[in-house]
Amino acid sequence: MSGAYLRGVGLACALGVDAESCVDAMMRGQVRPERVTLDGLAEPTQVAYYRIPDGTALFDPKRFERHLPAVTEAAVRQAGLTAAEIRALPLFLGSSCFSVGLSEQEYGAALAAGSSATVPMPCVGYDYLAALVERSVGCRGGSFTYNTACTSSANAVLGALRALQLGRCRHALVVGAELANLTTLAGFFGLQLLAPELRPFDAKRSGIVLGEGVGAVLLSAEPGRDDRLCIRGGASNCDGYSVATANPDGESVTAVLRQALAAVRLRPEEVRGIRAHGTASPTGDTAEAAGVARAFEHLPPLTVLKPHIGHTLGACGVNELVLYSGALKRGQLPATPGFEVPDPDLKLQPLTRATPALPGVYLLNHFGFGGSNTVLALEKHAS
Amino acid sequence: MIRVTAVSHYFAPLSDGEPLPSLDAAVREVCVEPYRRIDRFVQLALLGSGRCAAGRALATDCGLYMGSGLGPMGSNVLTQEQLGRDREAPMPFNFINTLGSSAGFYVGKNLKLSGQNFFVSRRGANLTALLNMAMADLELGVVKQALLGVVEEATQPLEDHRLRQHLPADRTVAEGSHWLLLEKDATTGRTLGEQRFAEPEALDAALKRAWRPGDRLVDVPRMEEKVRGALRKDFASAIPDDPREPFHDSLDAAHVTAALAADAVGSVFMVEGEPGRGYGLFHFRA
Repeated sequence: MSGAYLRGVGLACALGVDAESCVDAMMRGQVRPERVTLDGLAEPTQVAYYRIPDGTALFDPKRFERHLPAVTEAAVRQAGLTAAEIRALPLFLGSSCFSVGLSEQEYGAALAAGSSATVPMPCVGYDYLAALVERSVGCRGGSFTYNTACTSSANAVLGALRALQLGRCRHALVVGAELANLTTLAGFFGLQLLAPELRPFDAKRSGIVLGEGVGAVLLSAEPGRDDRLCIRGGASNCDGYSVATANPDGESVTAVLRQALAAVRLRPEEVRGIRAHGTASPTGDTAEAAGVARAFEHLPPLTVLKPHIGHTLGACGVNELVLYSGALKRGQLPATPGFEVPDPDLKLQPLTRATPALPGVYLLNHFGFGGSNTVLALEKHAS
Repeated sequence: MIRVTAVSHYFAPLSDGEPLPSLDAAVREVCVEPYRRIDRFVQLALLGSGRCAAGRALATDCGLYMGSGLGPMGSNVLTQEQLGRDREAPMPFNFINTLGSSAGFYVGKNLKLSGQNFFVSRRGANLTALLNMAMADLELGVVKQALLGVVEEATQPLEDHRLRQHLPADRTVAEGSHWLLLEKDATTGRTLGEQRFAEPEALDAALKRAWRPGDRLVDVPRMEEKVRGALRKDFASAIPDDPREPFHDSLDAAHVTAALAADAVGSVFMVEGEPGRGYGLFHFRA
């Protein structure tokens, strides 16, 4: 077994609440962020945000109980597994927020009520989301919960792939989960990383726009009815430059790209396209552009998906994998909205219009706080 | 063959009404440079990983696998207080330190590791999850060395810490930092193997066959009672079973590193699993 077939997908994000309609909306390129108010702060603050169009209160942490079961059950259903196979599924889950929304709500309510038993951070641990998925899907194959900032769910994909390659399981459920919470939005606001719009690799880029999304992929050692897409491999490394800022020289980005190519025994010129991380932060894009330019003499077509759904942080690996693979299935590489003016200091320009996607291997880049870099290699087979 | 070539075990029961013990001096001893703006969780990680490496230069591509049940509690509590009580955005480095992987960054930096660096949890079985991952990567040849660490931090006041974990008021709580270095091509150190079984009876039978006088058995705290009961029947004297034992959320890791760090012990076994998923038997062979 050389890879992991994508047998099922599910997604809820700013583009919609099922994977197919999300890909449709992405290809139309119509979604823009809205302004949301951080009510919990003393100083009135508004930020741009890509929210799931579900008609509920944005900071209600119980929304996980709606979206996680729906998205994961969709992925499992699409894969057509038997009851025994579902029960044996291991779960690989990546997130940045986990249950912090529950904690801030419960603590805030206790403070407002003047309760003497007020404890900050009342909901602890990383297992809330995994337990929710295990309960709703009925999978009992053991869970791995990844918390490596924005590479979390990409690393979860890598973990699932390796379990499949080693024959430890025949199928694996991989989930990325990030919903709006005040802690994350206020935290990024405090870091002064937020911008009103996303302009990846653009000369006028000024920062990140966050978003929420819950995505799932069902990976399998065997192809299903549709065997067009397969995770072939990947690599992950760590840059000790800074815990919070990307290393602008891009050396660790080049290194992880080369490690990923070596893992799938591919030469740079054989890569058909790149789904860049492209947060639109000034230093992040500089580092990625420098690293990619060094790894590729001739740059393959490059796309950024964050202008479609925002930066969904620890969930972006799975969420953007669902979107990118959906576009590849349709034979298209999506465009990058928001890119207009090339930055003369960067040696790359993302696609500004959709172009045909050929069979072959595509790379998906992910970078995060803590110096975490992860690249996944996704193969599109001929139909 | 995978071997355990180094172990470190830090376990500190805490007393109510006293400040948390300072880690500054111990951390200075294992750090190549002073790190600014780190929190107590990072200190615990640096302390445990530094003692495990013990001045030895690890391969730069050594994989790092960190886990925790509760994660960086101090920074999380501080951030929630800044938001909820003070209605202010969190201080930048408090916010960054709420990420579990921030500790992995400093461990990697301190030990000059630039390979893969993961932070993964499975509540009540964090060490099991890390062993699953690291052993897979070693077997696949993704890494030749794997540094595994489980860290648990406590916060003051300890009664709040107990409340968060639904612990009784008289239970002593603890902090811990528990680390193992695994290597594929080493010639010394305990060998590490894993067997899997569909039914607990098969696990029990395999354990009986492998058992020698002086061996230790470590069960996972959240192991289902039926299996635990059967194991206790057969290996009663070998299982740590003290309901008053100072608690942190990764006692499985604490029991393993305590046993491995002790000189006189024979083989150490750890069991894990649940119905439907099957059962694992980890064997740290002397």
